[in-house]
Amino acid sequence: MARPELVEVPCPELVEGASPATVIAAENLWKSFPLQRDRPGLKELLVNAPRFFNGRTKGFWALRGVSFTVNKGESLGIIGRNGAGKSTLLSLLLGVALPTKGRLEVRGNRTPLLELGAGFHPDLTGIENIYINGVMLGLTRAEVRARLDEIIAFSELAEFVHLPLRTYSSGMQMRLAFAVAIHTSPEVLLVDEILAVGDESFQRKSGKALTDLIGGGVTTVFVSHSMEAIKKLCHRAIWLEQGEVRAEGEAGQVVEEYLKAQGQA
Amino acid sequence: MQISKTTRQQLDLLWLLVTKEVTFRYKRTFLGFLWTLLNPLLTALVFFVAFTIFMRFEIEDFAFFLLAALFPWSWFAGSVTVATGTLTGNVSLIRKVVFPKHLLILSVVIAQMVNFAFTLPVLLGLAFFYDLPPSLNWLIGIPILATVQFAIIYGLGLMVSVANVYFRDLEYMVTVVISLLFWMTPIIYPLSAVPEGARPFLTLNPVSYPIQAWRDLFMHNTLNWPYIGIGLVTAVVVLLLGHWLFRRMSGRLDEVL
Repeated sequence: MARPELVEVPCPELVEGASPATVIAAENLWKSFPLQRDRPGLKELLVNAPRFFNGRTKGFWALRGVSFTVNKGESLGIIGRNGAGKSTLLSLLLGVALPTKGRLEVRGNRTPLLELGAGFHPDLTGIENIYINGVMLGLTRAEVRARLDEIIAFSELAEFVHLPLRTYSSGMQMRLAFAVAIHTSPEVLLVDEILAVGDESFQRKSGKALTDLIGGGVTTVFVSHSMEAIKKLCHRAIWLEQGEVRAEGEAGQVVEEYLKAQGQA
Repeated sequence: MQISKTTRQQLDLLWLLVTKEVTFRYKRTFLGFLWTLLNPLLTALVFFVAFTIFMRFEIEDFAFFLLAALFPWSWFAGSVTVATGTLTGNVSLIRKVVFPKHLLILSVVIAQMVNFAFTLPVLLGLAFFYDLPPSLNWLIGIPILATVQFAIIYGLGLMVSVANVYFRDLEYMVTVVISLLFWMTPIIYPLSAVPEGARPFLTLNPVSYPIQAWRDLFMHNTLNWPYIGIGLVTAVVVLLLGHWLFRRMSGRLDEVL
């Protein structure tokens, strides 16, 4: 897999010429969670019997009619306060959750950079974990084998890959996880605030790998509380508030509006 | 034969899940993989001592009689017990990555089947030891019975795993129900010991007939087609029901896990 040449622009240009094909189409997305996340036990049942049988069907709406599209090669930022529905939206895009109402279409191989290291097992060696994690993220074993050297080189953990994962520091584990995720040839990249992986030099490296991917035409949805990162990495941004789109547009503009509103609050 | 990339990828995933389940369980133990064989053997020893020395059961070739049913039973009991906690125990995986969730259950059943396969040489040895040498029927009967039992276990596994997400008490109930089923299954006694009037209740237990069929195969080299037939019908019903329930209920896992 040839790494694209380093693009030294802070905000990657949209790929010229290619007609903007829609990669993500979200139409009026609603998502509710049962309000009582802890199932009521027998005790609660006896104590609150009347309340229990009345409006228990009411849920908590994490998303209320969110619509947007993302074109190929575009990078979309999502901002908003805690509990605004950002992570819920990402899990819908990833496909680990289904919308309660609405239509969502995502084309292409999705790679989550949300919580890294799915399937990691502490008693397995680094290499074994690379295989498990890679296959979990949608590669075949043959594909992992073909990229193994690249992944190990990127993680800078060559001396440790034959040791069980439990001997790694947490920073080293994250480096391994990031290395696998970035090598899954993503077409749609879903990022949730993980730019701070490993030490300073690895952070620079992972940040650059991310910028390269975005610059190389990968469609990205990026959730962050770092307004700098949003302005730098995203073409457009959406501001979510209480499950609704409060503003949408060019990243810098939305960030400015958002910051202004926060200042008043 | 050309298989699509998705199929290839899912097979790879299944392979990794099974290897994880089979080998990594005992990774940090001294005896390691040997435990797969030691576990059922030691359990068998306990029963053997209890029933031949303390309770003095008068059954011919009791060790063979017992193990011919106990090993297939362990495959069933082990799978169902593990499967119950499989979805609730893999929350992080289910919330992090997209993959067909039934592969988790499938891997549990396959892993337990591998354990069962490792006990077959023991049964083979016992067959010669008790001078009841196997015939070619073993080669026909084992795959057929294994398929039937696989389907029953997998179907039940789908049901209990997804039901346990919504009703966590199930995890604790399953242990009790399994031990109840153990005594309701002709394992330490022959099916013929059950009074005629109580036989219909045995059909409530999905594995009593397959287990008896296993024993007939191992001890008498007979293919008990009526019992295999009952097992097959059970398998189809349980599998369809389990599949339907799992599909229906696993879509909203993210909201309740």
